[in-house]
Amino acid sequence: MTARVSFITANQAPVSARHLFAGGDPGPLVSSWAQVPEMLDVTLPFVGMIMGASSVSVRHKELVILRTSALMQCRFCINAHTEVAVDVGLNELEIRALRGELAVGDVFAMPSEIALLRWIDAVATGRGAVADDIATAFAGHFQDHEVVEVTMLIGATLMLNRYASALQLPNSAESIDRLQQAGYETALTNQGAIA
Amino acid sequence: MNAVLDAMENGTISRRVWFYANYHCNLECSYCLTESSPRAPRRQLDHSLMKSLTRQAADLGFTEVGVTGGETFLDLALPATLAEMSESVPVIVLTNGTLFAGDRLERLAPMLGRQISMQISLDSANPDLNDMARGPENFAKVVESIPRLINAGHRVRIASTGQAPDEESQEALCTLHRSLGISDDDHVVRPIVRRGRGATFDGSVPAGPDELFPELTITADGAFWSPFAPTVSNDHVDTDLLVSRTVEPLSVPAQRLVALAQGRPVGSDVANNIR
Repeated sequence: MTARVSFITANQAPVSARHLFAGGDPGPLVSSWAQVPEMLDVTLPFVGMIMGASSVSVRHKELVILRTSALMQCRFCINAHTEVAVDVGLNELEIRALRGELAVGDVFAMPSEIALLRWIDAVATGRGAVADDIATAFAGHFQDHEVVEVTMLIGATLMLNRYASALQLPNSAESIDRLQQAGYETALTNQGAIA
Repeated sequence: MNAVLDAMENGTISRRVWFYANYHCNLECSYCLTESSPRAPRRQLDHSLMKSLTRQAADLGFTEVGVTGGETFLDLALPATLAEMSESVPVIVLTNGTLFAGDRLERLAPMLGRQISMQISLDSANPDLNDMARGPENFAKVVESIPRLINAGHRVRIASTGQAPDEESQEALCTLHRSLGISDDDHVVRPIVRRGRGATFDGSVPAGPDELFPELTITADGAFWSPFAPTVSNDHVDTDLLVSRTVEPLSVPAQRLVALAQGRPVGSDVANNIR
């Protein structure tokens, strides 16, 4: 699968983006955003803040990102965040459930995480308002500032999912190799129904 | 907008804004920064945009506009556009000077009496050396064209590009331009820049952010660091000196250029004479 946009290389990196290429290939998101340096300048800090360390735990963030990416069938993001999920300590069953290969209800048992997953599913795939029972359950386990962060993270992930899928961004060969050695399918685009 | 004006006043950025009107050319010079030729993609800048940005430039405090290419006068509508632009600030337009005979000369009439000067390329007093880089009969066309333009009332400058000439060659060139009616003040000499087709020239000078004075330059592909920045390599516009894709309002790329330029030692480009 060939990417539908060209990537800026280190020797063509705009002045304002050179530092991002100094340590080697910054990956297809940054290398494509660098086509528009003024957009890169604001998008990268935004994505970094939304996806990086904050008051929402890393585990919950990966639940959001991997689950949303699977719902949106974003191959690039599923692969990238399967790796992240492994690195931050999610177990294989949890990862496979988030990827849609298992029913999340069979794997996740904590009420807070069930509420979170239902919120993710509703926000990522729904239209219009989220059902009261889902919103009430979610709000019962998370404070307002966490509700804000999680919901923004779902939205940002949706944006990245569509961007990466539409432009057919590639995962690195090293990433694909690592996932395949761990037994994960890397070419998947279909994910199962919401549990 | 004070940051932009302050940056001009303290010499951080140039007071001149450049526009790349187009990239195609009737010539195919061996050292061309933009790989221009009759076959090159035109990448034309919309004239209404150039006029609007010139007005914005004046409002921001820029005091001069430069128009370059490609061969700018391949676009027959350019003289009228330059005339309108010059109502805001003085305009200098770069040209190879080979197209100004007959009707083409008459088409320049809208520029007369305006604050517009034309900068014509002439690299050597030796026709063979000049034409080796710029193409057959270029020398003859240019030395015919310059007096014709001056007699018609146009202000003309000459720019000579190449490796530093020896004293004898330099004197011959100056004797020639004086004989054509061009004063020493209106003759600029500049090196071949190591970009575009000039990238492989022995003796070309490097041209990165450390060497190039920041001069906001607008093209159909975005705003760049300097008129030496939006070069073309292997048919692709180089992005290493891209400031922004946004060109309007002009304040957006102007403010980004200031931010990028701040902290550069002022005048660090002078040694290379590539302002």
